[in-house]
Amino acid sequence: MKALNILLIEDDMIEVMKLNRTISTLKLNHKLIEANNGEEALKILEKKDELPDIILLDLNMPKISGIEFLAILKKDNVLKYLPTIILTTSNNQKDLLECYRLGIAGYVLKPLKYEEYTSKIEKLLAYWSINELKKV
Amino acid sequence: MSQDKIDMLQRALAREKAARKQAEKILENKSAELYDAKQKLEKSYSELETLLNKTDSQLQGVFENIVDAYVIIDLTGNVLKMNDAAVGLLGFEDSNQDFNLIEMVHPNELERVAESFKYLFNNGTLTDFNVIIITRKKEEKLVHINASIIYDNGSPVAAQGIVRDVTELKTLEIQKEKLLKKLEKSNDELQEYAHIVSHDLKSPLRSIDALVNWIKDDNKDKLDEVSLQNFKLIETTLEKMEQLISDVLSYSSVGTNESEKVNVNLDEVITDLIEIMYKPDHVTVEVLNKLPTLRGDKTKLQQLFQNLISNAIKFIDKEKGFVKINVENLQTHYQFSIADNGMGIEKKFHDKIFKIFHSLNKSKDSTGIGLSIVKKIIDLHEGEIWLESEPGKGTTFFFTLKK
Repeated sequence: MKALNILLIEDDMIEVMKLNRTISTLKLNHKLIEANNGEEALKILEKKDELPDIILLDLNMPKISGIEFLAILKKDNVLKYLPTIILTTSNNQKDLLECYRLGIAGYVLKPLKYEEYTSKIEKLLAYWSINELKKV
Repeated sequence: MSQDKIDMLQRALAREKAARKQAEKILENKSAELYDAKQKLEKSYSELETLLNKTDSQLQGVFENIVDAYVIIDLTGNVLKMNDAAVGLLGFEDSNQDFNLIEMVHPNELERVAESFKYLFNNGTLTDFNVIIITRKKEEKLVHINASIIYDNGSPVAAQGIVRDVTELKTLEIQKEKLLKKLEKSNDELQEYAHIVSHDLKSPLRSIDALVNWIKDDNKDKLDEVSLQNFKLIETTLEKMEQLISDVLSYSSVGTNESEKVNVNLDEVITDLIEIMYKPDHVTVEVLNKLPTLRGDKTKLQQLFQNLISNAIKFIDKEKGFVKINVENLQTHYQFSIADNGMGIEKKFHDKIFKIFHSLNKSKDSTGIGLSIVKKIIDLHEGEIWLESEPGKGTTFFFTLKK
């Protein structure tokens, strides 16, 4: 299985810990790049020669919200190709539609149970590691 | 002065005199013509008036007592007759007024009025024409006009119209629209707010669940039975909290984002619903009569039945339990009933149970919101809900839904 470079954009510290722990418990060799908010993420994405394979994006964040970040991403001629998967607690139909309108590669709801979270992340990462990812 | 010159002047004078005489003659003829024309005009006016006055006393009564303003005009817009309501509406003191209706039209409306006049003459009637006028008292009013042509021996002689002051109505309408817009906006905001709050409340629950799991995993062999039991309780509490937040959110969502009402085949929907619902082995759920098709919101109606049926199942305390669903066809509504042989509900709680957060039994899977959602959905379908129950024996919920 291909090792992925994953950019996680998430303001909640424990959520970041959750993904880290999940990847290590499942003994996956993906590399996690952490950004606490949209601004940080945009800085990371400035280095066009070190772009991540996929982006996991939280919606409810201070400063730039997930949807605003997505809109910025989709306006960029290079960054718009990065598969962006929403990882959120919000099942607000409006958010969902807006994300689909802007263009997303997936919309995953964070479940309450940690075990269920682990299983969702495992499947998500397995799917993306078998994808042919565009290298820009 | 020479004789020649005198003769010449005299001739000129005579010529002038003749010319003046001729002019006077022409003038005389003209004024006679004018007089004739005036006579004719007066005659036709008086004929018209007699025609209008020829109405019998009953009609006259209608004319005077009609609540709406009633006006008769000639074909150029001069008012021939109006009732008291019209006098009031147009801002006059009495009905003896000599004026043309066109004078009252708001300058911006003249073009439309000219068109409407044309339409009236061509078609004989004009309905629902709204126009802004400026009354004699300088008040701007929006009036609604229905008019028709009066014919005498087949040729149009005048027009009559019923004029209604809709200024206030229009203002109210605009106000209503504004209010509705505002309400819609605040509803949207509330909905948005509910989603954000629910997200912010749910996120910490996820964190706690993860942390509890890690502590358990990291201390696998060090935790005793009691601690493991307590961790289990934390998890159950988290689930309950999660359910509560979801229910509050879904309660606040009922009634907003008003989806189109469609024909819902309840027989199909409920049969499918019962199929997929969790039913313990000792409980049977049956539909006694074919359920109707009615206009409504499919998801909400499904939620309504689901809440009531699962409630019934949840509180069955007998060895053999049943839930029976039935329907009765009333004039404007369908009356449904969902009966069970569960633990029953004491009379004093019958009203309370529909209020939000009023769960009679504190348990993990009852948050006290289910029945208030049911009530809200029934309100949306212009129905009512009530119940009959005998503690220990069972409960029957009755509710109506508009056809």
